[in-house]
Amino acid sequence: MHSSNCSLYNPVAPIDTPEATLLAGLESLQGKVVGFIDNAKPNFQFLVEDLSEQLTKHYGVKKVITHRKPGQVPVKPEVLAQMVSECDAVITGSGD
Amino acid sequence: MSKEGKVGLTICSTAFEGLGRAQAKALGFAELPIAVIPHPFGIRSRDEIHQLAAQCVTEVAKLLCQTGKTVSTLRQPTSVGAALLEAPDTLEEINRLFMNNRWSDGLPIIPPTPERVDAMLQGTDRHRHDIISKVAPAFRAATVEYIAINAVMAGCYPEYLPVLIAATEAVSTPHFNLNGIQATTNPAAVWLIVNGPIADTLKINSQGNCLGPGHWANATLGRALRLILQNIGGGLPGDMDKATHGQPGKYTFCCAENEAASPWEALHVERGFQKNDSTVTVVGPLGTWNMNTHAKDANDLIRVIGDTMAFPASSDYVHGGAPWLILSPEHAHLFNREGLSKQNVKERLWEASKLKTSRLAAKDLGRVQNGRREELGILSPDTLLPITVKPEDINILVAGGDGTHSVYLPVSGNSYSASVKIKEFISTTI
Repeated sequence: MHSSNCSLYNPVAPIDTPEATLLAGLESLQGKVVGFIDNAKPNFQFLVEDLSEQLTKHYGVKKVITHRKPGQVPVKPEVLAQMVSECDAVITGSGD
Repeated sequence: MSKEGKVGLTICSTAFEGLGRAQAKALGFAELPIAVIPHPFGIRSRDEIHQLAAQCVTEVAKLLCQTGKTVSTLRQPTSVGAALLEAPDTLEEINRLFMNNRWSDGLPIIPPTPERVDAMLQGTDRHRHDIISKVAPAFRAATVEYIAINAVMAGCYPEYLPVLIAATEAVSTPHFNLNGIQATTNPAAVWLIVNGPIADTLKINSQGNCLGPGHWANATLGRALRLILQNIGGGLPGDMDKATHGQPGKYTFCCAENEAASPWEALHVERGFQKNDSTVTVVGPLGTWNMNTHAKDANDLIRVIGDTMAFPASSDYVHGGAPWLILSPEHAHLFNREGLSKQNVKERLWEASKLKTSRLAAKDLGRVQNGRREELGILSPDTLLPITVKPEDINILVAGGDGTHSVYLPVSGNSYSASVKIKEFISTTI
């Protein structure tokens, strides 16, 4: 049994990013441009190669643009700008 | 990509799905599509990758074409301030509450009562709701109040608060790459180095056992920064902190430079600050490696330190890193007696630590080739890899007590240390 309570601060800061809405997905991949941002982890470049081939061959993707990061760093703004201007969808690698 | 108005999809292995979903949620995209592939991924053969791609392409295509949903993540404006909760008023029950909620680092805490937090805030003139930085990987706002709450928990005194405010600013410097440090499988800690008059005022140890136990300021400042990284930054072990082993330095890792015993200019002076400025420097070391050598001349000492730095599983060679050395005063004076400046030592070590590419694992060599192509061009088996892009990226601190020991600290990939002036400390000792 506890005779009294005390007040304490919760030390965990809240998530405070603005609410966001994800875009509706593509109607189909036919004729679309897909970008890959390779996070430079071992083997991811091979997965990108194979997925690019399959998406082009079987799903009608018109073009694939690939960027391989030099390491675990954010994508450079100019690369991001290129992806935004040229791609309909972008696939990124995360973690190992 | 979703922020830029494009359909986005992330691919990660099963071991990293939790990290991916947590970070997407933290950034406001809780429902970001994620295609998950089996872990471990990096060690698979080329044929296995081919089969994996064939298996997951359907899922990738489906996720790219699925309907997006409105995110309904709970939001709380930071201006409201930290939430209060009621708890049984015993130390044991409070610590059980903090342990069960994973709000501590695994050690008992000082309860952050409103009275203690208000007292902590007396250590700064900053408003309690001022935002110092957004701390990765969750990128939550580090207000002065949240820094103070975690400082109380760690056992800090109010006069330590300006150090922690500066450190929280420093860790969010882009080139420090805190996101990489917090989420990596490497055992990356954050080491807090204090320079200038505040180190003496707060009794931050720079001498014998400067990285060991026994000094309240070292222990509690380092611990407070860890709690800030966890409770504000979201680097919770096993969740967004994916360290394979971690290291004891993730509990606390703080010292001052032994400026009085150094023959050279202090770290903060080398970086453009005034001698009577007080600064914090944050570093992302992967461990500490003692080098016990009775080398009698500079050539010998350069050779053995360079050899120690040159190990083939080092991240520094993969990325062109920024490793650190803590030279004992005895070793620093040996160099100085032979006329070597700190810059001379860096240049000599840069040459002495070059590593033959043939010593690396083939996959690691591939990573070097990718990460350093612009700098090094095509590599041959006989190429000698420099540990950093340029000698200046080798960092030297003089600290510690008597003894023929210096310490090598390899550093987390793509992370460069950051120094920030402690703005609220005015020296009275000059």
